[in-house]
Order: sequence, then structure tokens, then C-alpha cells
Amino acid sequence: MVAGIALSPQARSRAAPGDERRRKLLARAGWSLSAPALIVVAAVTIFPIIFSVILSFTNVNVTGSGFSIGAMTGENYAEIFHASVWRYALVFTVVYTVVTVVIEVVLGTLLALVAARLTKGRGYFMALLLLPWSMITVISAELWGYIYQGTYGVADAIFQAVGLGHPLFLGTPTPAIISMMVADIWKTTPFVGIIVLAGLVMLPQDVFEAAQIDGASGWTTFWQITFPLLRPTLAIATLFRILQAFGLFDLPFVLTGGGPGTSTTSLALLGYKVMFEDVAFGPGAAIATTTTALVLAGCLLFLRVFRAQVGAAKEA
Amino acid sequence: MGAHRESTLGKAMRWATLSVVVVLIAAPLYWLIASSFKTPVNIGASPPQFIPAPATLANYRAAFEHYGFGRYVLNSVIVTLGATVLVLVLGTLAGYAFGRLPLRGVAVVLVILLMISVFPEIAVVPPLYLLLHRIGWLNSYQALIVPYTAFNLPFAVWILRNYFLGIPHEMEEAARVDGASTLRTVWSVILPQALPGLFTAGIFTFTACWTEFLMALTFDSSNSYRTIPVGIALFGSPNVIPFGTIFAAATVAIVPIGILVFVFRKWVVSGLTAGAVKG
Amino acid sequence: MDKTRRGSWRGSEQPWVRAGSRRAVGVARARRRRAVAVGVVLAGSMALLAACGSSSSTSATSSNSTSLNLADAHGTITWWASPIAQVGIRAALIRAFEKAYPKIHVNLTSAPTNTDTNRADLVNTISGGSSTPDVFMGDVIWPAEFGAHGFALPLSNYLAKSYWAKFAPGLVEGATYKGKVYGSPLFEDEGFLYYRKDLLLKYHLPVPKTWEQLRSEAVTLVHDGAVHYGFVWEGNSYEGLTCDFMEYLASAGGSVVNSSYTKATIDSPAALRALTFMRSLITSGASPAAVTTLEEPQAMAVFDAGQAAFLRNWDYAWANSQTPSDSKVVGKVGVAPLPTFQGRSYPGYSNIGGWNLYINPHSKNLAADLVFIKWMSSTTAQDILGKTYSEIPTVESVRLALAKDPSIAPPIKVAAETRLVPRPAGTPNYPQVSSAIYTNVNAALAGQMSPSAALKAAASQINSALAGAI
Repeated sequence: MVAGIALSPQARSRAAPGDERRRKLLARAGWSLSAPALIVVAAVTIFPIIFSVILSFTNVNVTGSGFSIGAMTGENYAEIFHASVWRYALVFTVVYTVVTVVIEVVLGTLLALVAARLTKGRGYFMALLLLPWSMITVISAELWGYIYQGTYGVADAIFQAVGLGHPLFLGTPTPAIISMMVADIWKTTPFVGIIVLAGLVMLPQDVFEAAQIDGASGWTTFWQITFPLLRPTLAIATLFRILQAFGLFDLPFVLTGGGPGTSTTSLALLGYKVMFEDVAFGPGAAIATTTTALVLAGCLLFLRVFRAQVGAAKEA
Repeated sequence: MGAHRESTLGKAMRWATLSVVVVLIAAPLYWLIASSFKTPVNIGASPPQFIPAPATLANYRAAFEHYGFGRYVLNSVIVTLGATVLVLVLGTLAGYAFGRLPLRGVAVVLVILLMISVFPEIAVVPPLYLLLHRIGWLNSYQALIVPYTAFNLPFAVWILRNYFLGIPHEMEEAARVDGASTLRTVWSVILPQALPGLFTAGIFTFTACWTEFLMALTFDSSNSYRTIPVGIALFGSPNVIPFGTIFAAATVAIVPIGILVFVFRKWVVSGLTAGAVKG
Repeated sequence: MDKTRRGSWRGSEQPWVRAGSRRAVGVARARRRRAVAVGVVLAGSMALLAACGSSSSTSATSSNSTSLNLADAHGTITWWASPIAQVGIRAALIRAFEKAYPKIHVNLTSAPTNTDTNRADLVNTISGGSSTPDVFMGDVIWPAEFGAHGFALPLSNYLAKSYWAKFAPGLVEGATYKGKVYGSPLFEDEGFLYYRKDLLLKYHLPVPKTWEQLRSEAVTLVHDGAVHYGFVWEGNSYEGLTCDFMEYLASAGGSVVNSSYTKATIDSPAALRALTFMRSLITSGASPAAVTTLEEPQAMAVFDAGQAAFLRNWDYAWANSQTPSDSKVVGKVGVAPLPTFQGRSYPGYSNIGGWNLYINPHSKNLAADLVFIKWMSSTTAQDILGKTYSEIPTVESVRLALAKDPSIAPPIKVAAETRLVPRPAGTPNYPQVSSAIYTNVNAALAGQMSPSAALKAAASQINSALAGAI
């Protein structure tokens, strides 16, 4: 999904002075073209985000007359760091993100590899893949809640039929977490598959022909050729999936309500509960801010690793 | 992938995997659609009914007549199309500027855009609500169109920029030689090349807006402006979850997206690759 | 192959940005521009913040009660209410009200069916200063939270003591916080024991009067293959479990907090008896293990499908179980008060549910709001709720009168005999208190914690909740 054609830099560095003026004109045109988009984004997102961050550092009491903002304090952060439910939500969200994203990328790649070989029917296959992704998350959660239901759910009936007994899918923490992951993976893997498929389809064929002539096996072909070439695509897919997975909300909200106990309470769900059920906007904003900081840190780390890898691959 | 001589075992495995995948993906979808035809008393039937008997259209009727689902569909269409169009227009301009024009500090802007798309929705909603309340936009179409546009622009700009990066500069050079202005260049030369990227960004935005729940719930709570996700979530009453009606409405909600996705399936794939010069 | 993609997520390097002094100047200029932009944004945000922080809107409290002329009330008000169990209740009430008061028009806003979403929505709306909705129908556990944050008007400032005297005992208390009443009880709800009278008849079993008796009857019926599951109730980790738990707790003689809401009293022998018994329902086979995932709709569905012999649910379950399109057990259902523990007096305690009417502090038509609320407690309105729609009336006189009516739905008749126990909602931190209860009770039911460990954990969490922790 990433492209970049680098034109020969030599041409540009031999620029004449007139080109500099033209460049400035083009730059101005560029900023004016992009200004509307940037303004809309800034107006709608920057203010609330900054407000949220500031709120997290104040003693804010939400009343019928609005937000009465008190003194600046780090109390909200102290409160959430001490709360075991926040520490659990943090670990849970990170583990959940890592596990689901890894599985989705692996399965999605397998899916793409298989689909890439399809000659006819690929379009229909892709349309099918996009359906789960295009479902409203809340509806998907209701559907899976219906499937996992303890007494009349179809998953229970199927497990019974194959002799696996009566697992209570949502009744205890570990099965609940796994069941939620399954629902998430079902909904998102096809989409990851499409992204990888897109990347696969665009790979230059001559490299593969060369490999085949040299007699390389499928496995070798994949690891030595396909995978390195797919890296950028996989990186983007992984990155965006990580961002999404960290904001996990709809699924636990509908499927488990954060339970049993607090075992499926993600950071976003915790933030929602603290803000709207406990009406504590200060700690809630602190949760939101720490979540964002963590995601950013995770992304930057991931990108650093990735760029190092790409650099290493280039030298190889 | 290349024309690879494949063993029959390899082929068989491939078809087996494909079939398993299709079944795994389609099974829950089938369950959703089938359950929408079940009578309320059979929703909780144990063992579960794999084929609804009796099959009934009552749930669909209830969704539209009793819950006014048609209204929600209309609202979703207006809000989603509005936001998508805005995103495409603004995003194309910005994507073109970032991808082809000599701007400094683009990397920083892109990183900021990334940061924005990462911030949890939950934290943004209350201040946004205050803002909308102040300018009197609550319970209106713009209350959703503008925020949706803003939250989907980062991703669209990323996609479109990557796509624009992949278009050879020769095109612009040729147009410039012919004496066209920047805007004209964009419109008649670059845009047609970037169409797949536009479709991709369009589909992503459409899906994101069609399925968004939290903001729609908070900003447009009045019945006349409710969108589909919120409308469905409100079916029933505190102690009664009418699964049949919910699934019926969900099936109806999937149809437009399903059609769109089917029609544009090729574009989605090609649009994601943001064009590369081959060989 | 120098034309291969140089793929990095930042995109390709832009060829025109090259080393040189011009670049340095350009970068500095760009940095300055950026700094200005950031500064503008920050300044703007602070300005908006300041404006929002002191948002003052003409609040209805500025008009004192003596200047309100209720007789002259007119205009349009918005009523925020989630759908009530049966179809058409809200519309019927509005119709009847507008007939009685033609000068006032009521617009209905259908609120979310999920109580928590409903509350979150209202919190957003009211804290944002919106003057609509004017009147909202809210849960009976909201008065403390809403009163403490100023999300609802103290109605006791406007309605005399005589008004409050007409409600059933305990209801007004539940709507009071720090001496002020915030909600006017609209209709009440409580837990009942529903049973399959055909099965009890067939197996010669009496309607159970103690919990222990209920457990053994359920086990018998399951073993004899009469039903799949014996006794289904709401054991999922959510607010509904707090309701169910209160019923066992109260009939064992226990409590959650002391009356001044300063200390948790849940770690007690009575509570241990209650929780141990609840767990034994599952271990003995009287209730399926799946009960720890059931909420009202699921428990109802199981009972409606004829799969269970006993059900604990609210009063809507009667109408639901008698609707042919929803239920396979039409005509086979009986209603009784909840049992109590052996050695204690019958009947057991039913938890109070139901809905109150509150007024938005920013409402612009206080007179019409009060007229609307007062009318809702009139005999006409309460009769519509009770007779036509089988919701339990909150006005005591109507409740007693209807209980004598032979054609009235059984739950209303039984409601006259039940004893009530409220949830410990007299603190603005009730959501955390409730969460401490239901998460630990659920863990004990699922066998993850022993009942005594669960109660200890609940007690400590409740104590910190009362002190205001998240």
C-alpha cells in the first residue's frame, strides 16, 4: 500500500535559481490546497484533544451547570496509577492487541496467498471478505453474543454435538477473553487479508519467474522473496490494526460489559465507565491521555524497528 | 503470483483452505440472516434452529413499521454520503499537495495527523459535545458530517498521498509544457490516474461513517436524526432484546455496503497498492 | 532496479529538499510558522475552555416556587423516556395528559434502551447546558448521583409534603438525597418468582416458600427430566446481579452499607449465608452454570421456551410469558412473592426497580414540567399504567385498589403482599458500590473465589468507593 517513486535526485539538485521561485509558488499552492482539510481536522479534533489533556490535569467536577474546573493537579494520574483495574486494563489491552494483531496478520497473509492464486472468482471472494468488516461493530457483537449464549447459543450446540461439552464461553475470564478475540479476529482478518492481497498483487512478477527458474520451493520463495517485498504492506496493515485494536470498545461493551468481573475491561471501556458511569471526567481524561501516549510510544517503537529492518533489508 | 507449476497436492490443499475460509467467514453471516427470519419464541430455541421454521417477515415489518427504521436509513445515507464527499474532496487536495508539491514539514504534519487518529474517541466526545452545543448544531446532520469528515481525513490523506506519490512526474511535466495551471493539472491529468485511490479512501470513509456509533449516539439522539447503528441499538426496551428485529435491521443495513463493496471490489484492492511503476 | 519502491511509511524523500543554506532558512521559517499555529490553537482552546468552564445558562432554579403559576402552565415540553416494556405506553400517557391539559404539548424523545447509555447521554446533555429534555424518565438508582452533580432539580423545593405522602412506602426515600427529593416515582418494579404451575401440579410440589425448598424442587424437576434447567435468574456481572443479590441478602437479614453510608457491612454472616446459598444453586444443579452469564432477556427467553421451571424476573415477565408469539408457556405460569431463608418470616424481599421522573435544571418551562409530573401521579395516569399495561403503580391507594381487582395481572396482585428492599443507592458513588458487589458476587458464583473471599473483597472495594476512588 506504500509507493514512492524517487526521481533521480541529480536532476533536481542541478536546479536553476528560477526553479527556486517556482518551488516557493508551488509550496504556497500546496499549503492552500491542503489548508481546508487541515483546518477541518484541527478545528474538530485539536480543541477536544487539548481540552481533554488539560482536563486530565485538573480537578474537574461535572455538574448540571457544566464543567467546573478546579486547580491544576496530578491527582487524577495518581488515582488511576493506583487503581488495580487500570493496571489490569493496561495489561489486558496490550496483550489483546498483540495477540489479535499477530493472528490477524498471519491469517490474513495466508488468506491473501491463497486468494492471489485465484483466477476467476477472486472478485467474489474479495467481496465476501469485506462483508464482516463492513458490519456495524455493535451488531457483530450482538451476533456473537447470540452465538456464545450459554443456554441457547449455537456455539454451545455445536460443541455439544462434537462432544466438547458445555463450555461457558463468556462465563469465566479466560474463555471470555478468547471468545472475544475470536469475534474480533473473524471480523477483521478478512480486511487485513485484502490489504495484504493488494500488496501481493502489485509485486513484480519477474522476480518470481526468476526464482522459479532457479527451482526455488514455495516455502523458500515466500520467505526470501515474497515476505521481504511485502514488508511495507504488512507494516502499514499492522500499524493501523494496532491503532484500532488499542481503542477496543464496542466489542466488550456489548458482548461482556467488561466482565466477567473486570476481565475484559479494555482501556477505552474503562475510560467510558469512569467518565460516564462514575462521572469522574478528570480520571477519565487521564485514562484517555495515558492510552494515547502508550499507543504513540508503541507506534514509534514499531516504526523504529521496522525502519531498521527495511534498512537492513536494503543492504542485504 | 507467478505462473507456478503446482502439484495436485498443493492444489488440493489450496482449495481445502479456501473452502474452510469461506465457510468460517460465511457461517456467522448466515446465522445473522437466518435468525432474522425466526419468530421471537424460536430465537431462544434449544437446540437452535438452523433453518427458521416457521420463517417470518415479521421482524422486518417490525423494524420498519414499528421502529421507523426507514428514517434511520435515510439519516445514515445523508450523513455518510455527506462526510464521504467532503473527505474525498478535501483529502484529494491535501493528498495531492503533500504528495506532489514541494512542501516542507510534511512529515511532521503527517505524524500529527496520525496522532489525531489515535486519540480515543471517548475522551474527545464530551468536549466536542460542548462545542457543538455552543454553536447550536446538536441534533442536525452537520453535527455528524463535520466530525466524521475530520476523523476520517487523516487516513484518507495518507492513502491519497501515497497514491499520488506513485504517479510519475512525467504526467505533470507534460501538462505544464502544454501550459495548464496547477488546478487544471490536478483535475484533468492526475485525478483520473488516482481514481482507484479515491475509491479506496471513499470505501473506507463510507464504512467508517456507516458503522460509527459513539458520536452518533451522543450528538444526534433525537429520533429524527438517528443513524442506523444508534437506531438498532435502541430497539426493544430495557429488559427485552428483540434479536430477530435487530438482525433484520442489521441485514438491511449490510445491503448498501455489500453492494458498494461488491461493485468496487477491484478498486479496493488496486487502490490500496497506490500504484507503482512496474519493471 | 533503482525504480523499485523505496517503501517507508513516511513516503519517498522529496527530491527538491536538499542540503543547503536555503533549506536551513526554509526550515526555520517553517518552524516559526508552526509555532505560531500552535500558539493560536492553544490560545483559542484556553479561551474556549474559560468560556465553557463558567458556562452559565439561565437555570430554572432562579425562579422560585412562589412565582410559579401552575394553573397557567402552557407551551411545549420534551419528555425523554426509554421504551417501556409494552408498546405504546408512553404515547398513551401523553395522549391522556394532553387531553387533560390542552395548553401543554409534550414531545417524546425516545431514549436509549441500555440504562447506562441512557445515563451517559443525559450526563452529556445536561452538563452541556441543554434546556431539552425538560422532563426525563430515569432509573430509581439515579437520585443520589444526579442530585450530587446537579443533573436534576430538587423537586421537593416545588412540591409540598402532601404530594410525596401518596406514594408507596420506601419509594420516596429511594429518591431522596441529602434531604431533598429529586425524582417523582412513576411506576415501580420488583422481583417476583415465576413458576410453571403445570409442572408443580404434575409433580405434586407446593409453591416454594423458602429458598432451600426452591432449590430442592428445582433439583427434583431437573432430575426427573421435567425441564432442562431448574431455576434461572440474572447472574451476569452487571447491575441486575446487584438486584438479585439484594433479595437474597435482605431475606438473610444482611445489608450492604450502614445507614450513613460510611462503612460497608457486606462482610457479615448473613451475607455469607446468602452468597453461599446462591453458589449452591449452581453446584447442586438447581440452576445451570450458565446462569452467571444470564441477564433478564436471556433468562426470560429460557423460561419462555419452556426450558426452566422457576424464574426470578421483574413484572414485565408476566405479560411476556403470556404472549403467544414470544412464549411457549402461555397459560402455564404462576406468580408468587420471592421465598425467604429457612427460619425467617415469609415472604422474602423483592428488590425495588422502576422509574422516576426528573426535571432538567436547565428546563425553560418549569411550570409545565411540574404539571406533567403531578399528572403522572394522578389516578388516571396510574390506572393507565396499572390496568392497561400491567406496570405496578407507585401511588399506594391505586396499588391497593388494583390489587383487589380480579381481572388485574397477577404481578400487581402479588405486589400487594411483597416486602421491598432498595439497592444501596443513597451515595453518588453508587455505580462503584454496585460494581464492587456484582463483580465479586459473580466471581463467587462462577467458582473463582470462595464466597467469604468475595465478600471481603467487596467490602474493601465498597469502602474505597464510598471514599470516592474510581
